Amino acid sequence: MSKSSSRRTNGRQNRNAPWILAVVAVLLFGCAGIVVFNTIRTIVDVFTDNGAATEPAPVAGWEPDSARLTIAVSPVMAPVLSELADQFNQQGRRAPDGKSLNVEITPYDPEAMVNAALASPPFQAISPDSSLWLDRLEQQWAAADAGVAASDSAAMPIAQRRIASQQRYAVSPIVLAAWEDVARRLGWPDQPVSWQDVQQRATQDPNFKWSHASTKHASGLLAVLAEFYAGAGLTRGLTVEAATAPATLQYVQAVEGTVRFYGENEDQVVTRLREEGRNFLDLFVAQERVVIDWNRQHAGDRLVAIYPAEGTLWTDHPLALLELGQREGEPAVTANQRRTYQAFAEFLSGDAAQQHLLQAGYRPADLNISLDSPGSPFAGASDVDWRQPQTTLQMPPAEVVSVVRDYWYYTKRPTNVYLVVDTSGSMEGSKLRAAKGALKAFLAQIRGDRDRVGIIEFGSGIKDYALLAALDDPTRQRLDAMIDRMEAGGGTALIDATYAGVTTLQQENQPDAINAVVVMTDGLENESSHDLYDLQLLVRQNPTLPIVIFTIGFGEDADAATLTEMARIGGGQYRRADEADIEELYRIISTYF
Amino acid sequence: MNRTRIIFISIIVVALLIVGVTVLLTNTGSNSGGATLTVARPDTVTIRILTSLPVEPWVRSAAEAFNTQKRAIDGVPIQVQIEAVDGLTALGRWDRNEYGALAADQSPETLTDAERKALEKFPVAWIPDSRYLVELANAAYKERLGRDVFLTDGEYRARPIAISLFTWGVYNTRARVLEQKYGEINWDAIHNAATAAGGWPELGGEPAWGFFKLVVPNPSRNVGGLAAMIAAAGEYYDRTNISVEDVVNPEFQKWLKELMGAVTDFSSSSAYSAEDFALFGYSVGDGGQLLESDLLQNMQGILTRWEDPLTLYYPKYLTWFDFPFSVWVGPETTALQKNAALEFQRYLLSDEQQAAALAYGLRPANPNIPVDASEESLFTKWADRGVLPVVPRTTAMRSPDRDTLLALLRWFDLNVKQ
Repeated sequence: MSKSSSRRTNGRQNRNAPWILAVVAVLLFGCAGIVVFNTIRTIVDVFTDNGAATEPAPVAGWEPDSARLTIAVSPVMAPVLSELADQFNQQGRRAPDGKSLNVEITPYDPEAMVNAALASPPFQAISPDSSLWLDRLEQQWAAADAGVAASDSAAMPIAQRRIASQQRYAVSPIVLAAWEDVARRLGWPDQPVSWQDVQQRATQDPNFKWSHASTKHASGLLAVLAEFYAGAGLTRGLTVEAATAPATLQYVQAVEGTVRFYGENEDQVVTRLREEGRNFLDLFVAQERVVIDWNRQHAGDRLVAIYPAEGTLWTDHPLALLELGQREGEPAVTANQRRTYQAFAEFLSGDAAQQHLLQAGYRPADLNISLDSPGSPFAGASDVDWRQPQTTLQMPPAEVVSVVRDYWYYTKRPTNVYLVVDTSGSMEGSKLRAAKGALKAFLAQIRGDRDRVGIIEFGSGIKDYALLAALDDPTRQRLDAMIDRMEAGGGTALIDATYAGVTTLQQENQPDAINAVVVMTDGLENESSHDLYDLQLLVRQNPTLPIVIFTIGFGEDADAATLTEMARIGGGQYRRADEADIEELYRIISTYF
Repeated sequence: MNRTRIIFISIIVVALLIVGVTVLLTNTGSNSGGATLTVARPDTVTIRILTSLPVEPWVRSAAEAFNTQKRAIDGVPIQVQIEAVDGLTALGRWDRNEYGALAADQSPETLTDAERKALEKFPVAWIPDSRYLVELANAAYKERLGRDVFLTDGEYRARPIAISLFTWGVYNTRARVLEQKYGEINWDAIHNAATAAGGWPELGGEPAWGFFKLVVPNPSRNVGGLAAMIAAAGEYYDRTNISVEDVVNPEFQKWLKELMGAVTDFSSSSAYSAEDFALFGYSVGDGGQLLESDLLQNMQGILTRWEDPLTLYYPKYLTWFDFPFSVWVGPETTALQKNAALEFQRYLLSDEQQAAALAYGLRPANPNIPVDASEESLFTKWADRGVLPVVPRTTAMRSPDRDTLLALLRWFDLNVKQ
């Protein structure tokens, strides 16, 4: 190119330059505008529903796609259901998104289960021993939801439900489980035996020992209902008026005075029978399956199931999925957890699981399984009878059941209990804090105004004490204050402190009450002037005044051998606990009173 | 090309790239699950159907067969999903609008992505136990939307898919004693048995049987309980229609309360009372008026478990369930879904499926199919237990209105359930 043409070109370029710059500027401005607009729109979307919709909101408690189903199960069924859950989990079933369908079993007292299910529970499904508890849950849930039910615009007064779906997988009638010779003396098997026969026998024969669980379990509730029916002279149609009539309460009080002990559940009775032999009890109220299970495992004396003539109740073991997420902030049951529930419910209905339940002594829900077919524990058996029961006791309305439960606390056998508490130096810190919480939980569980509680705090000797007193409000405040004052320090005069508790109970001399000492220590006996032999002599001093000793080994260093021996001397139990479960253990022990 | 041009073109290219990328990114974001300008043809049309418990096993089995056959509507394959829910629970959910029906001033076009996503689970159809549940749901939505949501005429009208009558089922040993004492089994005889102070021995039965025990499902959980109370009222007044005045009559209430006093346990009554009957046997109930199909389905179980069969008796005043297949007609579901639901409804009413219903103890809604049309028919299997192939319907009870049903439920809540 020549210089002149080059100059011409440069001159043209120079003339076009402003236009080009203008175009570039417009383009850049436009680009910047689009970028800014889209960025702002994206930011706005993030903070609006549009943006939120692209990401599922995180759910508290469990992952939004969790396929792990936690089921709260009554303690008596928990071992069998855990076995079945293991079998289910081993099948390796998966949700469409690949998550493993997994079931976890966690034991819960039925009453605690209902209370937890009303709030935001750590489980998604429940399996109490009876549908009674489901009914109670729905009633309490509906009461909380009363505004909806009462709405005028509602087509029908149908309250929201807490239970999404339910099914039964096994049933078992509640029976009077008695040693065969005891049953025969009551007239079994030739004559019908009634609740009244047992109650009469218990009030007339001081050597007759029987037991039922507390009303927190279906078997305990039935036993108490039967007493109220008998006391009111009825076999159905029990009303609040009839249940609270003075003659009824007097009768129930007399019968309850003969109860050897209440317990957390029937499995604990079986444990005690195993440990102490048949002299521990003559008869107890339990599910039919307990009789089958005992006789299968023990070759000696056998138990027989008596189906009470007035009727009984059934434990029907429902499995219910909760409808969670109805309240603000409550995590909902995930789609995968629903799949797990459905799959596990189907698994429980399957032949293998139903046969497993039959072998455990339950009557399977699958009606195609004949109870007298070969291999069934019912086939040809004389200790249980699959044709029974012939009739059931009428379950009164919820209002009457509630009254019966409340009044039972005031008619049951009164309790005198000393809490003997180790506050030696090793209890310093979190242990003492946990122990204080547990002691308060125990006091909260004791409801009857005829029950009396005392506390003995010990280290190298007795540091502080509160004598037995009825748990009215001032006493509760006084005991709470004493618990708050407790401080760690000193050695462990375990036997001396227990000795003092037993001595005081003997001085009180109330044979009509349950007299007990609940001892807790975290260490080794090292300061007492008495030994175990002295304690044994003391306990045996007055055979007409049995004093039960429960012992709790708190932590790894507790003297298990001494505590076990003390429990044996006092005809009680030794239990181990740590900081996580000491409160629950005290709660459980309170059900024995 | 000189340096200035290269820079110029580069700037243009970079600018266009930035614009392109940002537009692409933002549009991709808004299209994920959001609205598009054109209606895409779905790969599959999925329809969720709420199904009452007595017909659920049959409908589920039919749905599985239907899905396997890969049936299509307008060339789009249909997938049917069945959700079991008892009639009263579903009614409560409709009533509280838990399924999320749109308000009168809303339309699908105005919804956010999240709202549109939630509508994907909206039930396309409902098969309740009885048409009076449909009427009650319509009553609830009429106040809210000013129109019916389930139609009673036209293409999308609710059509019964099967019928089941309420029938007396009494354990044979007990039935013989009652027949001997009262001649026939009806509400009056049952009332007399229920109020016999001496229990079964007074009636001529065994002392071990205790008192006469009546089975009535809890009406607040199982619409069968309401049907039983309506039937009892019909026989008490000796007429087919009852009103609020009849329900609040103190003499009737006294009579009904005495009757309900013979029920052993309302607390554990589940939706399946006939199953309870079989599981707990005569220990919980000597007899009761229950759904014929439930009784027939549990007959074998009762024989296996208790060795004492049930005998069926048909009452003078008949109540029944007709399981109306009711298609939701609101904008929450597409026309394709509604037509797919109709396709499944036609399948359920086909000769093949109506005959299959006999194996579940259900009477066909299709009049071409007699109750002995299938070898599996429970009507044939249990003919010797008192099942009637044809029952005179001259005394069929009329469906009570909403106020009467409410009066019965409230009476139950106040006087029995407590």
